[in-house]
Amino acid sequence: MISAFLAIPLIAGSFVWVTKNKLVIHCTNLAGALLLLIFSILSLADIKKYEAVTGKGLFKDLFYIDSLSGYILFITALAFFLVSLFSISYFSEELRRNVITLNKLKLYYSLSNAFVLAMLLALITKNMGVMWIAIEATTLASAFLVGFYNNKRAIEAAWKYLIICSVGIAFSMLGIILLYYSSTITQVGSKISGLNWNFMLQNASSLDPSILKIAFIFILIGFGTKVGFSPMHTWLPDAHSQAPSPVSALLSGVLLNTAMYGIIRTLSIVNSNLGNSKYTGNLLILLGLLSIATAAIFILVQQDYKRILAYSSIEHMGIIAIGLGICTPISVFAALYHVFNHAMTKSMLFLATGNVYLKYHTKKISGIRGLINTMPVTGLVFILGVFAITGMPPFGIFMSEFNTVAGAVQSKAYIAAVLLLVFLAVIFAGFIKQTGKMFYGNNTNPEIKKGELDFIGPAVLIILLFIIVSFGIYIPKPFKLLMDACTDIILGGM
Amino acid sequence: MYSNAINLLAILILISSFILIANKRQNAYISTFRFQSLLLALVSLLVSVRSMLSNKKFDEVIIIFCLIVLFKVVIIPIVLKRTSKKVEYTVEKDFFINIPVSMLICCGLVVLCWHVIYSIEGINNSDTRNYLIYSMSVVMLGLFFMISRKKAIGQIVGFLVIENGMFLAAMLTTEGMPMFVELGLFFDLLTAVLIMGIFVFKINDTFDSIDINKLKNLKG
Repeated sequence: MISAFLAIPLIAGSFVWVTKNKLVIHCTNLAGALLLLIFSILSLADIKKYEAVTGKGLFKDLFYIDSLSGYILFITALAFFLVSLFSISYFSEELRRNVITLNKLKLYYSLSNAFVLAMLLALITKNMGVMWIAIEATTLASAFLVGFYNNKRAIEAAWKYLIICSVGIAFSMLGIILLYYSSTITQVGSKISGLNWNFMLQNASSLDPSILKIAFIFILIGFGTKVGFSPMHTWLPDAHSQAPSPVSALLSGVLLNTAMYGIIRTLSIVNSNLGNSKYTGNLLILLGLLSIATAAIFILVQQDYKRILAYSSIEHMGIIAIGLGICTPISVFAALYHVFNHAMTKSMLFLATGNVYLKYHTKKISGIRGLINTMPVTGLVFILGVFAITGMPPFGIFMSEFNTVAGAVQSKAYIAAVLLLVFLAVIFAGFIKQTGKMFYGNNTNPEIKKGELDFIGPAVLIILLFIIVSFGIYIPKPFKLLMDACTDIILGGM
Repeated sequence: MYSNAINLLAILILISSFILIANKRQNAYISTFRFQSLLLALVSLLVSVRSMLSNKKFDEVIIIFCLIVLFKVVIIPIVLKRTSKKVEYTVEKDFFINIPVSMLICCGLVVLCWHVIYSIEGINNSDTRNYLIYSMSVVMLGLFFMISRKKAIGQIVGFLVIENGMFLAAMLTTEGMPMFVELGLFFDLLTAVLIMGIFVFKINDTFDSIDINKLKNLKG
């Protein structure tokens, strides 16, 4: 079971180099993504039965999937599948216009598979060292994807991404070394198990609190760079806006969650050692509020619609951090729910920008008028997506944001709750003011013809829209049970 | 005897990072990096030989020793020097902050690391405490080197120095992480340097220079 998660992207990623047929290349990748999705659902079923899926034989000490990793795994696989489907439409158009060559397409598919492989590895391993290696590998695999178009801006964005993330993550290695140190000086067990998060979680009370505290700071800064917390966020708007839209969707919808997962694991170890969430909570709430404030200010002045969405990712990671920081059952549940909602909504918006970009060939807001008129489906999905991402009902994000605020009020974190609401209002106003112009009016450019490019792209958008609306109104029972199990894991030791 | 030797080497690694900060030319700091990696290799050799002598069985850290010598002492410096020759342009001043001031800042960073490590009550072994101070200072100095240089190659060297600091910390505080983690770490970072090298060429092609000060298109 577990080896399937590693084998499928590996095979799909290398197989694309064998053939020259465009259709076969697209289908290979899509089939791989579909298989991953099926396996992730199967593993969720197994987790429900046996609580966790463990590796066999040689991998016994290495792999372990519990509800939390299974949950994020599912989100990753779902987003990757939808993005793969969308990629067919996006890159067919790019090929048709000769923006990219066939080899570039193959490069895209093998790199995106490598990217997903690295993220899956980070999720299924229980060894913090391997997790670190995998998260660093995500940077390496996606650096070329960010610089995909090879122009000045793309290369600058890729260089920033590579340097800032590699350096930032080096700090979390120091944190992991400290964690390992604190678990080796207290335990007599084998060398390997000392790095496992579930070993550390079970023996959390015998670890040294002062080492754990400093290790948490290092890991928060390190993985936080990858999550996009302000003030380490500077790579994020550049990378997300310069990458091709399917890659932006993966970066924003999936990668940020994977890095957040690293923080969550450390968080539960430290919390269960200290017995309360005050220490980690204050740090997370502070970083979260800072990120939301930064995003609110920068959204007001953007002129590029992809950059606005990128800043909004920073904002939503901040909201998740606040949910985790408050650390009551309701707020942690809201944070997990938000992870899903944000992944789906933001993927939808970034994919929609892909359609818009292919049509208008500009990322400037001022270059786009009459979107709803020109592209009815994309335009409509985009405007609904803007309302969803800013937290309007009936979409999922409204529910999770509402619960986060409710959790904050319930645990008497009034200042955080008020600030959060104020920033959310500013972000809402900024979003509507900036993007509102794009949708109405008439298109003055005669070269842009009416109509969608093809049917696959809008179809993916409709699927995503359906998901976010239905999850805003009703959470299916198995899904709710899964999130409850994840909440228990995070709050477990306290 | 053993701990004295390790201590000496660790201090020398820290001093070599100070030398790095004081270097003005690209070739000079690549050589300093090579010297530092050699010291790191010696540390790993000492750690593995000692554990082999006391446990009477094969210790895997010796593989790390071979890898460090092969890649960090031989291959990476040669490749970096070749790269820097290919993309050579006259940048009159390679640094943003002049050298005496950067030296003072670096001393401040070391004091900061010392203060942070001493505030952790859980580390009661004084040797470990010192090793952590040295290795964390090397990481900090590498970071400072990165932000104070204008050329892309300088940033790669800074990254490599940060890496050296991480390896030093892993090796000395915990006597080596599990083998597959160390190997994964090593190859991860090697790939990172390789990709950065490719990007140096790309930057050179598109911007006609490797002065990262020119990367100013994306703001706000």
